[in-house]
Amino acid sequence: MIRLAKKRMSTWAVFGAVLFMVIQVVSNLYLPNLTSDIVNDGIAKGDINYIWQAGFKMLGFSLISILAAVCNVYLAARTSQGLGQKLRSDIYRKIINFSHDEMDQVGTSSLITRTTNDVVQIQNVAMMFLRMMIMAPIMLVGASFLAYQKDAQLTAIFLIVLPIMAIFIGGVMYFAVPLFKAMQKKTDRINLVFREGLTGVRVIRAFRRDKFEQERFDDANLDYTQNAKKVYSIMSVMFPAMTLIMSGTNIAITWMGGHLIANQAMQVGNLLAFMTYAMQILMSFMMLSMVFVFIPRAQASAVRINEVLDLNTPIKAPANPTKFGNQPASLAFNQVNFRYQNAEHLALKNIDFQMTAGQTVAIIGGTGSGKTTLVNLIPRFYDVETGEVSVKGVNVKDVTLHDIHQQVSFVPQKANLFTGTIRENMQYGNAKATDDEIWHALEIAQSKDFVSELEGGLDSHVEQGGGNFSGGQRQRLAIARALVKKAAVYVFDDSFSALDFKTDALLRKALTEDAEIQKSVVVIVGQRVSTVADADTILVLDEGQLVGKGSHAELKANNTTYQEIINSQIREGDED
Amino acid sequence: MAEKTTNQSQGSHGPGRGMGGVVEKPKNFWGTTKRLLTYMSSRLIGLVIVLALAIISVIFQIRTPKVLGKATTEIFKGVMKGNAMQKAGIPMDNLPIDFDKIQQIIITVILMYLASAIFSFLQQFIMTRISQQTVYELRKELKDKMQRVPINYYDTHSNGDIMSRAINDMDNIASTLQQSLTQMVTSAVTFIGVMWMMLSISWQLTLIALVTIPLSLVVVGIVAPKSQKFFAAQQKSLGLLNNQIEENFSGQVVLKAFNREQVTIDTFEEQNALLYKAAWKAQFISGVIMPLMTFVNNIGYVFVAIIGGIRVSHGQVTLGDMQAFMQYTQQFSQPITQLANLANTIQSTIASAERVFAVLDEDDMSDEPSGIPAVVDDQNQLELEHVEFGYQGKDTLMKDYNLKVKPGEMIAIVGPTGAGKTTIINLLERFYDVSGGSIKLQGVDTRDMTREQLRSHFAMVLQDTWLFTGTIWDNLKYGNEEASDDVILQAAKAAHVDSFVRQLPDGYDTVLNEEASNISQGQRQLLTIARAFVADPDILILDEATSSVDTRTEIHIQHAMERLLQNRTSFVVAHRLSTIRDADNIIVMNHGSIIETGTHDSLMAQNGFYADLYNSQFSGNVEI
Repeated sequence: MIRLAKKRMSTWAVFGAVLFMVIQVVSNLYLPNLTSDIVNDGIAKGDINYIWQAGFKMLGFSLISILAAVCNVYLAARTSQGLGQKLRSDIYRKIINFSHDEMDQVGTSSLITRTTNDVVQIQNVAMMFLRMMIMAPIMLVGASFLAYQKDAQLTAIFLIVLPIMAIFIGGVMYFAVPLFKAMQKKTDRINLVFREGLTGVRVIRAFRRDKFEQERFDDANLDYTQNAKKVYSIMSVMFPAMTLIMSGTNIAITWMGGHLIANQAMQVGNLLAFMTYAMQILMSFMMLSMVFVFIPRAQASAVRINEVLDLNTPIKAPANPTKFGNQPASLAFNQVNFRYQNAEHLALKNIDFQMTAGQTVAIIGGTGSGKTTLVNLIPRFYDVETGEVSVKGVNVKDVTLHDIHQQVSFVPQKANLFTGTIRENMQYGNAKATDDEIWHALEIAQSKDFVSELEGGLDSHVEQGGGNFSGGQRQRLAIARALVKKAAVYVFDDSFSALDFKTDALLRKALTEDAEIQKSVVVIVGQRVSTVADADTILVLDEGQLVGKGSHAELKANNTTYQEIINSQIREGDED
Repeated sequence: MAEKTTNQSQGSHGPGRGMGGVVEKPKNFWGTTKRLLTYMSSRLIGLVIVLALAIISVIFQIRTPKVLGKATTEIFKGVMKGNAMQKAGIPMDNLPIDFDKIQQIIITVILMYLASAIFSFLQQFIMTRISQQTVYELRKELKDKMQRVPINYYDTHSNGDIMSRAINDMDNIASTLQQSLTQMVTSAVTFIGVMWMMLSISWQLTLIALVTIPLSLVVVGIVAPKSQKFFAAQQKSLGLLNNQIEENFSGQVVLKAFNREQVTIDTFEEQNALLYKAAWKAQFISGVIMPLMTFVNNIGYVFVAIIGGIRVSHGQVTLGDMQAFMQYTQQFSQPITQLANLANTIQSTIASAERVFAVLDEDDMSDEPSGIPAVVDDQNQLELEHVEFGYQGKDTLMKDYNLKVKPGEMIAIVGPTGAGKTTIINLLERFYDVSGGSIKLQGVDTRDMTREQLRSHFAMVLQDTWLFTGTIWDNLKYGNEEASDDVILQAAKAAHVDSFVRQLPDGYDTVLNEEASNISQGQRQLLTIARAFVADPDILILDEATSSVDTRTEIHIQHAMERLLQNRTSFVVAHRLSTIRDADNIIVMNHGSIIETGTHDSLMAQNGFYADLYNSQFSGNVEI
């Protein structure tokens, strides 16, 4: 945690916060001292002037205390939230530049939590630290010192009270913390069962298992309730017991202090002040013990954030990058082997093919056969182990990432749209695209109809992730977006899966007939035979190996894997 | 306060407390409060005891400073007496303090403290049971309700909305019942009690102390709403930023592929700066409240010390009383702050309760007999007669639709994505009722049998492979509770489930987890098929697989489905040519309604939508 805070929190601000806190605490602590003066020198001696004097002094110190407090809160608020801002920024920049490897390693949802919740945790703890956590020790030390000054002998009481308190707090935590943790799990369980009841409502009703669901929920509910009763019962000891310990301390001070006063070893006013200090000591001790509850939680967040900041992408730009020239589009895989980080087996073995402008290559194979992996090598989302991927005759490793991404237009499996208008989404890869160009792309992507039916046309709003469009529409918009960007290679990674047969077919027809796209290489990854059948070359992948390469007719005649795929989709006798 | 607000900002989405101190106002405060309290009425005696205990505990607690103050007075008396004697020239080692009397006082105080502590503990202990039991029942009732509302409710309310009511709102209610209720009572009692004690010591000093109340109210009334406003702004910025993070991380591939890194970083930083601005202000204002209250309190304290000191030296008030009074002054403002906070908490809780009650007040599924006489010895397994249907408030999707299904027939449902193929399933399973005409199962209108009876004839295998978090075995048994182990094993074998399950380390006892990461999507599909085998229905509803599964599993799924279809009447949402062509009847759907029905040949002959759809599969010159 310290590592995270370093450099991201100004030393001066932290120092200032501590300083103001010291001022706040000290002037607060001085108040009981003045009270005792009022009693000792004012009341006991009947000096009313002195009482007024001491009283105004008290007001003065209160004022100093509040001013210091406000300054402390101000600095604490600015630095802690500033820490959050800087952390978010650093993590965000880091993650945006991650390659696929790092994204897979941590996982998108985990990265999101780390950037959001974990940072909020850290900044909250920083805020608490600059307020509560430094207040507790200062108050503890200050009050102890002053109490000792008032009367050294009475301080012995703390030698008994503090350990009792420590043992008690420790004991309660020992029993309560595991139960609190269990409670979190049991809450999750209730939520899970309830959510499953929502998502599965049709299945549950169709199978007439309402009663079973009810019982399943009741089990979770009962389990939680029993645990909660246990936890809160333990906690209900806490408050009265703490009050009792404090009151007991007060009584002991009165009793022992009385004897000291009788022996003329102490003044009455000091007794009153001592009591106040005693309370402050016990309160700060309790506050301090709370710190031990918060620190581990924040520490866990800090570890998760550091993990992200420590990850470095292995994909580096070359020292002297080459530039793409005006050569015609082409795509080549030359004896490519690829392995995922730390993987035992190669994910792609000996992939070799060449494509020139105007050609379409399709890739087919089962799940896990390496189709997506293969196309991910084209825009250099991963680096090959051996061999070479080249676009327009240039090795993708020899140019900057920016340049290769300029040449390759990529449609990933998941159609991610972004908040904004349709036009903004369409201009994603080509900020200068005109409305005509956009409509043309939308037409090829079979989206012209539904976009023009929208009230706002190109200015229609796109919600987060494209939530206001159906899966098929999102996919078509993502395709259009890729087409607006002029590129040498277009990659469609299983981008037609949410489309029905008819739309799929129309789209591919429009794609291959477009004059502009005919100057490029088109790569299509597909699941359905009908999607890939029209391609110039079909690559058949099985467990990372290229087991077939050729046209539909060739492969259908003599490739067993391809035949198997055909058979799984169309039974014999269905063929025309 | 500071701790409270941090907790609030940690609480994530959802209404009520989670919104970072923004209070939502309930529509019908007293009505909802009364209704919430009726949930506790069965534990009324317990509640009365809790309140009594809380009051007694507070009363004991409040009296102690005054009693303990008497001890101080005794000490001070002794000191003054001693001083006077010393001045009179009487030498002494010990000041004449009456320790017997002090001992008496201390024993009384100890007893009072103990009593207060025990009553306070008992109060909490009983309240925990009352509140947890109440929330338990409320949760149970909500879950029961979810089982009774029509499917329509699920279709018109998002899962997120229902979940937030069931979880955030319920939590809100739980913690308020657990803590705030007794806190409210103790705060009120403390406030009144402290006032009472102060008055009993000196009305003049009380008046001085009371001067601080308007000041406290100013702080609570002016600063607190400001802090709420900033918290709302912070929460909003945080929400927007989190959305941006979520969207951009999920679409990180696209960002990179389109060279948009710098652009997104710029917009992110803009939002991040906005958040910072709102956040530090929110933290600052809320952090200042506590010192401000202390300051106000200190002002009262100082004047009490001054005036009290003067009065003590004049002998109008004893020192012990003044000591007690000063303690009271410090306790005085606490209940005010607490009550102000509680007012917000309780409002947001009642708003939560309102949202939960809104669900509980939804209409149950209704059952109205059709009034259509049963046909004796009907040869049709299913018959749709003059069916009319449209979702509530939307266009009519079906008008005068007729279809006869003989036992063992297969009906294929085809159409483009989003054509509304689930509508048929909704009607057959009676998730929705027809608005006109009749659906008959073996001659009897489906509305004239219970849903249980009707559904016992059906089983579904959908693409949405819903399985619950439990063992594989229990999931298979889901199809039929009474199924014997043999039947289940048989079903598992028929659905190609047995072989892969045996390879899992825990076999049939493997617990499926929420993300279903321990088995593949295809294997999940096989499990749903096996589950349908176990159910052994007369009529099957089947949604053919199109999701990405590997070739081998896909073959398995098809085998299993074919086996399941044997000798059963079936409705199949068809994607494969073979299914379509083998069907006895094909229902063609588009834009939610049925547009054509017939056999493959008759539909091709019509040369309508179906023929177009069918031919389009062979787009290019290539024949598959």
